[in-house]
Amino acid sequence: MITINNVSFDYNREKNTLKNINLYIKPGECVLLCGKSGSGKTTVTKLINGLIPHFTENGRLDGTVVAAGMEVAKTELYKLSKKIGSVFQNPKSQFFNIDSDAELAYALENMGTTPEHMRERLKDTVEELQLEQLEHRSIFTMSGGERQMLAFASIYAMNPDIYVLDEPTANLDENAIAIFRHQLEELKRKGKTILIAEHRLYFLTDLIDRAVYMENGELVSIYTRDEFLAFSDEQRIKMGLRTLRADAFHATDFPMLSSANVLTVKDLCCEIKGSCIFDHVSFHVGSGEIVGIKGNNGVGKSRLVRCICGLAKEKKGSISLDGRPMTRRQRNKECFCVMQDVNHQLFCDSVWNECELSAGDYREAEIETVLRAFNLLGYKNVHPMALSGGQKQRLAIACGVLSGNKILVFDEPTSGLDYDHMMAVAGMIRELAEKKHIILIVSHDIEFLNCVCDRTITLTFNELQPKDNGGNRL
Amino acid sequence: MVRKSKYEGATCLDPRAALLLLLLVTVVVFAQQSLYLEFALVTVLVGLFLCCGLFKNGLIFMLGFGFLLVLQYYIFPIAPQIFADFFAILTSYARKVFPCIMVGMLIVKTIPMRYLILAMRKWHFPQKLIIPLSVTLCYFPVIREEIGHIRDAMKLRKVSGAAKAEAILVPLIFSAANTAEELGAAAVTRGIENPAPKTSVIELRFRLRDYICIAVGLIFVLAVFWLKRGAI
Amino acid sequence: MSTTEVVTSRKLKGKDLITIGIFSAIYFVINFIFMLAAALHPIMWILMPGFIALFTGVPYMILASKVQKAGAVLIMGLISGLIYYATGMFTVVILITFASACVLAELIRLATKYKSFTGNSISFAIFSVGMIGSPLPMWLFKESFFEQISVQTGQGGIISGNYLSILSGLATDGMLFVLILAPVVLGVIGALIAKALFKKHFVKAGIV
Repeated sequence: MITINNVSFDYNREKNTLKNINLYIKPGECVLLCGKSGSGKTTVTKLINGLIPHFTENGRLDGTVVAAGMEVAKTELYKLSKKIGSVFQNPKSQFFNIDSDAELAYALENMGTTPEHMRERLKDTVEELQLEQLEHRSIFTMSGGERQMLAFASIYAMNPDIYVLDEPTANLDENAIAIFRHQLEELKRKGKTILIAEHRLYFLTDLIDRAVYMENGELVSIYTRDEFLAFSDEQRIKMGLRTLRADAFHATDFPMLSSANVLTVKDLCCEIKGSCIFDHVSFHVGSGEIVGIKGNNGVGKSRLVRCICGLAKEKKGSISLDGRPMTRRQRNKECFCVMQDVNHQLFCDSVWNECELSAGDYREAEIETVLRAFNLLGYKNVHPMALSGGQKQRLAIACGVLSGNKILVFDEPTSGLDYDHMMAVAGMIRELAEKKHIILIVSHDIEFLNCVCDRTITLTFNELQPKDNGGNRL
Repeated sequence: MVRKSKYEGATCLDPRAALLLLLLVTVVVFAQQSLYLEFALVTVLVGLFLCCGLFKNGLIFMLGFGFLLVLQYYIFPIAPQIFADFFAILTSYARKVFPCIMVGMLIVKTIPMRYLILAMRKWHFPQKLIIPLSVTLCYFPVIREEIGHIRDAMKLRKVSGAAKAEAILVPLIFSAANTAEELGAAAVTRGIENPAPKTSVIELRFRLRDYICIAVGLIFVLAVFWLKRGAI
Repeated sequence: MSTTEVVTSRKLKGKDLITIGIFSAIYFVINFIFMLAAALHPIMWILMPGFIALFTGVPYMILASKVQKAGAVLIMGLISGLIYYATGMFTVVILITFASACVLAELIRLATKYKSFTGNSISFAIFSVGMIGSPLPMWLFKESFFEQISVQTGQGGIISGNYLSILSGLATDGMLFVLILAPVVLGVIGALIAKALFKKHFVKAGIV
């Protein structure tokens, strides 16, 4: 189905991003591409869906790729798109319509399918993927998981032979991943060929036929499923891969470590447009503690931390530090939030200036220490937006540290991170805890929460809604 | 003017009829000078709002128009100079384009973007215009979301004064550039460059109500020119 | 073994169209903010094209440098025009001025081969002048415009001559000059601001 024959590729004629890739994928096979960030996984997916060479300017491609009987480099993208469907990492940037119905039909409309056939395909898609709750909705009221489901469905409606998936779960929570897993099973049953590049592996273990391990743009080895699953944890960690098991949550519920400098949230209640999101939320976090906040999508985790940071208004309740209730303005000053999309919080024209903005008056020595600790000193004159995703995140954390704020909040700090980067973030957070910061982490990444948190708080829906949201029917 | 007010799953008016109506109303508005005609037009449009089930909007427009008239006829002549200076041109301009804004509001409120795009396809607008236009419309809510995030981030950092404008614009542009890249990739892999004529599940068709709307619009246009001839 | 090198196409491709769409959205939002602000005072209305020019330089210049192909600016103008038209906010006059400004801007880009900063700045200044169509009816239809107002106030009973003279006082040749010159001058300044931001941010970060 897919043949990659001796392919090398580079984006800018300097260094080879991919070196001598050879891969043959049989029809109906499900192949996992794994490896550390920057190992070339995404680039391989682009070879197949035609983004290389058609969409990437100034690149240089050697070798041939044949997919679904077409030579990719010599076939127009729209012809490839009929047989090869692609789903990408970011659920925010895959939409061309405001409502879900239009989006679902979009790819079919582009192909010029007859209305009758289109109606049939749409009906089948909704039934087979059980998407009833996504119909007739505005995309802007959907969660990231729902958006990703819809993006997948609009490809499914086209009924391609090959599915190319580039980190499709990077922004999804457990439930959404479970749904996605079921959708992949459906594809396998239909005999579709699947190529998936992923960091999170636990949900794929019984779906994949083979796993391809990549390193520095080279295809290092190909494992059968049994070989892949037989890896010891030690081996897996050495390869920089994330866990292969669906971990149970095991962070223990330690008693609070210290009684000084305590963040106290009491009876907090938040509303959006008059409807209650959560009510009677109370907890304490001591200084030097790392507390995870988990809960299903839509339960108001982000709202809770926005409220703690003073970015959203509380309806009732209080948030106090050391027994002093804080106004919203005071909370703005005491808290720093490393946002899910750090691109929104970097404003300056160089790493150094970014730090100065946070640190204020001439604390050069301190900035230097922090930058060194975060491995960014060598980049001090670089524009923050020219950094890699992980570096940007580190810079945002560095700014939080330099601002001297007591309370540090992390909103989904590990979306799309490989094992090494995840552990690096965990290490950084632990160091901050040792410096007596109060640390809150919102995340649905259980592997990560397990290895960093002292304890966790689970936010559940308020009484008005059914408590049992764990079992997903999809 | 439209008897059937029931919302039938489809739109109140065919998008093409609505866009044509807008064109006719624009012509009427810029050609006419008769108060009675203006009054009649606004009344008919309010009727159309009610037929489409937009009671609240209809009422607001009715009151709004009444307010403009009262302002011009009764308040300005006795109001202090400065007040008239501020608002006179604005109100007379607002009154002039009032019917256009009404039809515009009707389109925004009752016709989903998808239908408007479809209408443009039917009229053979080039794809090179339709594709970016639909992206633009989708990107407005994104801009709002993004600005929200950026402002949150600014509150937690010490950004102040003139730097604020830069601090909003720059991340917005970066994010736009990234989105253009990612959305572009998603678009081409969904066959956006396919030269085949686009199809749609929705079939647009003119119904009686659409013909009535256009007919009434045409009557107004004729009335305007008939009145003009009468004046000469 | 075959080697494929990608040659940049001169026609607008899918990615270009999407880039145009996204930056048009940013352009339109800024434009719309000043369109609303124009309702505050007639002077604001007359200065509106100038203000828009000052603040939209960045999205325009980014678009011009990201899509160095014919049609990008024209499509951006058409999109703004269509949205304004479909919401009933564009009248015939502004449609004409706006469309001709777009075409002229596009021609200047063509003549300066899309890459030159000066060329793009000039095209932006001309593009900005397109917005003068909004207050222009004050001059174009001067008689009927004021006749309508005086007829209306006349019917109301009292005519305030002073009030009318202030109104017509705004629609002078001098003001017309201000109206047309403001977007040109502020457009150039807007382009220079864009240039500064390019140097400070966008080029450094490698997005243009």
